[in-house]
Amino acid sequence: MSDELIQIETPFAFNEENQREFDELIGRYPVKEAAMLPTLHIAQKQAGYITPAVMKYVAEQLEVSVMKVKDVVTFYPMFFEEPVGEYVIRVCHTLPCALRDCKVVLDHLKEKLGTDVASETNLAKGTTADGKFTLMKVECLASCDVAPVIMVNDDLYKNLTPEKVDELLAKLAS
Amino acid sequence: MVEERRILYEHLDVPDINTFDVFCQYDGYTRFEKAIAEYQPEDIAKMVMDSGLKGRGGAGFSTGLKWSFVPKDIKPCYLCCNADESEPGTFSNRYVLEKNPHLLIEGILICCYAMGIETTYIYIRGEFTLGKKMLDAAIKEAYEKGYLGENIRGTGLNVDIYSHPGAGAYICGEETGLIESLEGKRGQPRNKPPFPAVEGVFGKPTVVQNVETLCNLPFIVGNGVEWYTQMGPTYADTRANPPTPDPNTGTKLYCISGDVNEPGVYELDLGLTCTELIEVAGGLRGEEVKAVIPGGSSAPILTHYELDTRLDFTSLTLAKSMLGSGGIIVMNETRNIVDCLLNIMKFYAHESCGQCTPCRWGTPWVRDIVQRIADGEGRDSTITRPKFGIAENGRWGDTGETEEIYEDLDLLESVANNIANVDTMTWNTICVFGIAVSWPAVSYMRKFRPEFEAAIREGKLVTLPVAEATVPPEENYAYQQRFVPQEFADL
Ligand SMILES: Cc1cc2nc3c(=O)[nH]c(=O)nc-3n(C[C@H](O)[C@H](O)[C@H](O)COP(=O)(O)O)c2cc1C
Ligand code: SF4
Ligand code: FES
Repeated sequence: MSDELIQIETPFAFNEENQREFDELIGRYPVKEAAMLPTLHIAQKQAGYITPAVMKYVAEQLEVSVMKVKDVVTFYPMFFEEPVGEYVIRVCHTLPCALRDCKVVLDHLKEKLGTDVASETNLAKGTTADGKFTLMKVECLASCDVAPVIMVNDDLYKNLTPEKVDELLAKLAS
Repeated sequence: MVEERRILYEHLDVPDINTFDVFCQYDGYTRFEKAIAEYQPEDIAKMVMDSGLKGRGGAGFSTGLKWSFVPKDIKPCYLCCNADESEPGTFSNRYVLEKNPHLLIEGILICCYAMGIETTYIYIRGEFTLGKKMLDAAIKEAYEKGYLGENIRGTGLNVDIYSHPGAGAYICGEETGLIESLEGKRGQPRNKPPFPAVEGVFGKPTVVQNVETLCNLPFIVGNGVEWYTQMGPTYADTRANPPTPDPNTGTKLYCISGDVNEPGVYELDLGLTCTELIEVAGGLRGEEVKAVIPGGSSAPILTHYELDTRLDFTSLTLAKSMLGSGGIIVMNETRNIVDCLLNIMKFYAHESCGQCTPCRWGTPWVRDIVQRIADGEGRDSTITRPKFGIAENGRWGDTGETEEIYEDLDLLESVANNIANVDTMTWNTICVFGIAVSWPAVSYMRKFRPEFEAAIREGKLVTLPVAEATVPPEENYAYQQRFVPQEFADL
């Protein structure tokens, strides 16, 4: 709890590396606001999730109102407004993956992690008590040929079975 | 058996083809060199028009025609490459981005040269982290080698390419949603007109083009229109009397998934049949084909009666479906169509951008009706309504008879048709997402009505044998177009 409060109240600013990335970005567009999505991605990478402080900072950088930033953050599923686990596990559950038994993979993950599936408005529901994993369902990841698939943070895992899930979790836990 | 013809994907598996040097060993950038050395920009635009190239992203709109709408006197003009690839069942752009990004850059250069464009944004799906990494590396290399930036190859041509990540919203694949998103807003589609070609990103003329469409350009320029138009079955016969039936030229990166033995991307000439494609993909996994979705989840479903339908733009339009993004999803006899529809409707209910009331409320409503039916709680009271079929004049229409239908099925059809009416092809929404919702909803229900009825009657999901589950063509409005246009009969 105290952690959470500190994070919200601590002002946010880009670290040096991200500042450089941002400076390079901003020159790409005729209006600053257009850098919104890439900027939020960088900010989320640094802060873990989009806190009010992050929104305020991004708004200042892009010279738009905080409301506009909030508006965007709430629209896109990839931006989190709550803390998530160290590993975000996205399980694809759209038709081609469903035809290849993604449900077995999802159920197995639920059981192994001992958590429910997060919803967009309640990420805590899908986050393990130790804060290591967040489990969520996502729509087609454009890899239906190797279904069922999941993404763990930035990496895609293909043709999953419960056994492969076990191996993966063991690797991540170590 | 139909042979693969790899053109866009020819060098996909060459090790290190993602690097500039290896790409150049395989003719890389020579087609762009040829374009700037031998042709004027107008010549390129004419070649693209003559090639009959149609957009591969979903709408299948003629690329040459789209370019011709762009006003020549308003600058700057932008190119947005649509790499948002989120239509369920589609995965061909991903491989280009991850394995052969220089091919896309070359295609973009040719487009920029033809259209006098200096800035390109590649809107790449947020989840494509590897694809973005590979693409960014390739862009960086192209700058270093003098193929991007200012005064390219001493020609005075300036082109900048920037990649721009999305953040997980399907609707940003729609071209005006993409533009809004690129401008840093919610990805909510705009009213059209004005079309992006006239007023797009930052209020300027904008060409929006799919990755695969752009990757065709080097080959059209390199090998010529004559060569290009030989691929695809219907062009030679129909060239004599354009515009309809219109050309279907070139190859298509068919993405096939679901119940086949070897799912994957197969590059084939446009126009092979469903049966042939399933055979190419290692055959069916299972005993019998129950249904095929021919163009991503938005496309109306095909039944086992329709497996001889050719998978090209014109033939599928005539079959009242669409080639869309070329994502083919196959379902075998063990699948329950109600269940499949439920999955798809959950997708659309999640992805509606929420701007238009019919879509925002209608889509979850359709989902809830299907959910209710799947849970065995479908409303089993019946209502009487006019029956459509072959009317007295021999055409499809009101037969003067009536039919009994379960309340929930009538409701399903009515709610879906009020988002976008699939019979009149009119929609009450800003973008054609509305059609993408009602097309599957209505076509699944009409073509597999016995399975929906069984679920309501029995109070649980019942998977019927293929023959029993499917409504035969002569009994259903959903197939009407297959009978009407005589002049298209032998396409
Ligand atoms: C709801 C919806 C989603 C779409 N998603 C995509 C997509 O993911 N990728 C794509 O290239 N086109 C998509 N399109 C089609 C685009 O609007 C547009 O027609 C296309 O990018 C134009 O490029 P093309 O002419 O090269 O196909 C979508 C359209 C709609 C209505
Ligand atoms: S039809 Fe749906 S997705 Fe398209 S603009 Fe309207 S609400 Fe948004
Ligand atoms: S449905 Fe899972 S990757 Fe396409």
